[in-house]
Amino acid sequence: MAAKDELLALRYRLIPDRLLGELLTKSWIDNVIPALALAVTVIIMTILIPGYLSAGNMADLGRQVSEMGLIALAMTVVILSGGIDLSVGSMFALCVLTALTCMNVAGLPIGVSLAATLAAGLLCGLLNGVLIGYLRLRAFITTLVTLVIFRALYDIIFPRLASAIVGSFPTSALWDLIGFGDFFGVPVSFLIFAVIAIVLHIGLSRLRPGWRLRAVGGARRSAYNAGINVKFTVCMAYVVSGLLTATAAFLFSARLGSTGADTGVGLEITVLTAVVLGGVSLGGGRGSVGNAIIGTVLVLILSNSLIRLSMPGSVNQLILGLVLVAAVLFDRKWIKNRSKILSKVYVSPTYLPLRDRPDPGDDDYLAVNDKLGGVELIGLGAVEGPEDVILDRDGNLYTGTRHGNIVRFFGPDFKRHEVFARIGGHPLGLAFSPDGDLLTCVGGMGVYRVTPQGVVEKVTDETNRSLLSIIDDSRLRLPDDLDIAPDGRVFFSEATIRYDMSEWAVDALEGRGNGRLICYNPHTGTTRTVLRNLIFPNGITMCRDGQSLLFAETWACRISRYWFDGPSKGRVEIFMDNLPGYPDNINRGSNGAYWVALLGMRTKTFDLAMRKPAFRRRMAKRIASDEWMFPNINRGCVLQVSEAGELMDSYWDKAGENHPSITSTCEHRGWLYLGGVSNNRIGRVRIENSVPDWTIHQDYWGER
Amino acid sequence: MSDLSSWIVNMLHRRDAGISVPAMDGVLKPNSRLEDATCILNMPGIDDVVAAGSKLVVSAGSSLLAFPLPFGGGDPETISTFEGAISFLAVLDDGRYAVGVTGKGVYLGVPGSFTLIELAPELSACMMDATQVADGRLAICIGSLRNPANEWKRDLMEKGRSGCLCLLDLDTGSSDIVAEDLAFPYGVAARAEGSVAVAESWRHRIVAINPASKKRTVLLEDLPAYLSRISPALNGGYWLTFLAPRRQLFEFVLREDGFRKEMLETVDSEEWVGPSLSASTRYDHPLQQGAVRQMGILKPWAPSSSYGLVVRCDENMRPVESLHSRADGALHGITGICETDDGVFAVSRGAGKLVRFTGDSAGSAASEVQS
Repeated sequence: MAAKDELLALRYRLIPDRLLGELLTKSWIDNVIPALALAVTVIIMTILIPGYLSAGNMADLGRQVSEMGLIALAMTVVILSGGIDLSVGSMFALCVLTALTCMNVAGLPIGVSLAATLAAGLLCGLLNGVLIGYLRLRAFITTLVTLVIFRALYDIIFPRLASAIVGSFPTSALWDLIGFGDFFGVPVSFLIFAVIAIVLHIGLSRLRPGWRLRAVGGARRSAYNAGINVKFTVCMAYVVSGLLTATAAFLFSARLGSTGADTGVGLEITVLTAVVLGGVSLGGGRGSVGNAIIGTVLVLILSNSLIRLSMPGSVNQLILGLVLVAAVLFDRKWIKNRSKILSKVYVSPTYLPLRDRPDPGDDDYLAVNDKLGGVELIGLGAVEGPEDVILDRDGNLYTGTRHGNIVRFFGPDFKRHEVFARIGGHPLGLAFSPDGDLLTCVGGMGVYRVTPQGVVEKVTDETNRSLLSIIDDSRLRLPDDLDIAPDGRVFFSEATIRYDMSEWAVDALEGRGNGRLICYNPHTGTTRTVLRNLIFPNGITMCRDGQSLLFAETWACRISRYWFDGPSKGRVEIFMDNLPGYPDNINRGSNGAYWVALLGMRTKTFDLAMRKPAFRRRMAKRIASDEWMFPNINRGCVLQVSEAGELMDSYWDKAGENHPSITSTCEHRGWLYLGGVSNNRIGRVRIENSVPDWTIHQDYWGER
Repeated sequence: MSDLSSWIVNMLHRRDAGISVPAMDGVLKPNSRLEDATCILNMPGIDDVVAAGSKLVVSAGSSLLAFPLPFGGGDPETISTFEGAISFLAVLDDGRYAVGVTGKGVYLGVPGSFTLIELAPELSACMMDATQVADGRLAICIGSLRNPANEWKRDLMEKGRSGCLCLLDLDTGSSDIVAEDLAFPYGVAARAEGSVAVAESWRHRIVAINPASKKRTVLLEDLPAYLSRISPALNGGYWLTFLAPRRQLFEFVLREDGFRKEMLETVDSEEWVGPSLSASTRYDHPLQQGAVRQMGILKPWAPSSSYGLVVRCDENMRPVESLHSRADGALHGITGICETDDGVFAVSRGAGKLVRFTGDSAGSAASEVQS
């Protein structure tokens, strides 16, 4: 049995099951499959066609990529907005005609010609944009119609200018440079394309217009409800599409210097194939510049190679068509099933052996009593989710609520209360700084400070990103409890980096060290992670030596001591192990003691399940989360422990009526105040052997 | 056919498929009628109830207690005490009582003069219910041949299939097993055409067993809770009582052999994951996530390990009416029921209570079905 358990422990230590789920949460995972397809195609072509990777071939490909790539970007922008632009081919032809007329026929300077070409693209795009964005016509039918109109215009104008275009050549060095020049073998047109692509990528992925565009394409109604000007955004997508197409046309004109009757015919299908193949979703809202480029390169390589393999043109078209069908099919399945796969693989329990639970019946201090049976209730129904409770110097009581407020109850009778500060997230741990500021860990937000006047300021909401973590752990997801060191540094725990506050229970099922201890230094303004891989680190309290702190690891049922200063700096030592329940907040008490709130009690079946990760994984997959096995958090208890980590007393709520789950305590002038994250009341109870005028402020910061 | 297809489905998705239990819907839509029923007796250990002439007789531990009918309030009178826990209580056509006593056998007679028909120890350890059939013999449900009656939870967790239906000749004392491999037959009721309806608790169904031909027919299946006793209703149907609810977690643990075996070996049965007769007050009782008290309230729809459910069926064993005591209630673990002209009396073994309520009259039951 022991050997089997050790093997199991080893297997869960060595194989990082969680990584697959974390990879699937990344948005770039959408690009991985097209990129792989591209790599495979290149390898196959390199094998089939000798000299495929030659510099000349690559430069040629680069020029084609820059022209078609720009049109693919145009298509991407439109598809991201939830539409489609079938008129790009005709628009392209019109723009080519404009550019060549300006350069060859009218002999205008290159700058004016560029402006005229862009203006032509802008007008075409604006026509589409107004019809689709403002007049709410269907994108498909509208651009199909403009495809015909633009083509007809081209067919009317082109024959009258054809001979004039062919008849003269512009004498512009810049024009030639754009068409044929290169820097160190890289075509100039490709460089232009690269710059535009980078700018567009930043715009789409990092700037407000791009986010709005995705929002409109992803969910039009929600975007509207969020206050986005949907009509304008859609219209602008077509305008941008027109400008990008015009730029491509300009590059094309510079390279070829002439145009024909079939310029741009069928281009929309090729570009559409490229974009969808690259992973831009036809449904809108999903896709990137990277997708468009990968798709373009893939299509160009495919069609070029097919030509070089002497396939007839019709076969070439057939193959491209088949590829488009396959890409669309894959896109649909992927969009539909990605979240399903993710939800199936993300929860990844690990092996967590706990020693046999101590039996409270056998222990003088731990035996079940009903000391919390006669608890006095404060604010019944007025607070929801008072995770932490704390009193100020004047004896007023503060607590956070799940509505995102900090509520103040006025002492000494706590009958009256007011909203002290509105924060917006659920305030969890609370601590007073020496100058009277209230610091709080806010679930999903970070660490915030509330001044005595009730002004809310952010302290920190991010820490250093770890080198080897796949999920972005720089943002604070679930900061839980905090305490302030004598020099003003704020130490706080983040319970888990894998789940948000609403899903904290799923972390219990995993039982892995997903949490960490973080330090904010007000002198330098920096936030740094000091301890990683803690198993749901929860309560934190400073020890009286000013050099160390105690932190609770909830699912591991233990409390550890960490030295952040002094000769033993950096050391971590177990303070109390194998607790009978799950420790939450720790707070100082009178007589040199500490209070440990247990949010729930261990059950033997849950302990057994913690040794069976595969069992828990199957449970997460097979049954609804409401039905999952859970520790008994309908019974809580408070432990009083000494400076040396010895149990001194315990306070139970036998029936679990008022305080089923206790997440925090605060001692103040002979009373113990109790909070619970899923409760709607605060309780207080007389402490039997306390120092009557002891307050937490005196103990931390001395007399006023 | 459905067995074969469900077997194929099981084989295909054995490890990862979702687990569901039938929803309480339609006729079984939750209400609080059972919770609101009038409590007429508080008695820990109360287990079964029958009507015998002008008396309402209940069994609790080793005693029989009786109220006069119609019920007029007051305390019951103890009419008999036996040398062991009473496992079932039945009234014969001639007015005699048949009282099953665990570890002994069946006592026949009237209060004051009972004679014992001894049964083999493996049969008498887990008698659950009995009823007299058409040929005068007594049909007795033996829940399990492997576990005694008070270890029902172990039998469930071991996926017990060792129950049987035994016919006892009251004159000769000879017994005859007519059906084997039943999954904890908890309740039995005689049917008009000569067969008996048996509540197969762990298979959540009611089967009709013909004592002569031994043919079995499923009358009602896919129930959302574990059945306990069944008894005839006055209008020709049946009253079904339910011991505890089925939950996805319990079904899951039943499929997880490794976990279940280790739990059976190393954990005290009070702390097992599984159904129970009443909400546990223990701090170390397992919990399901949805049963966490939120804002001082346990939601009535929480996945609790205990539940109170009584269902009335028509003569074709189709449910027509149900009464509930939900997760936030206390009247859980219903084990006995009997309908009289004075109302319906039900025993909640979980709460140790006897309650009285009136069933829907035929008219309102019919309208419920139609709507």
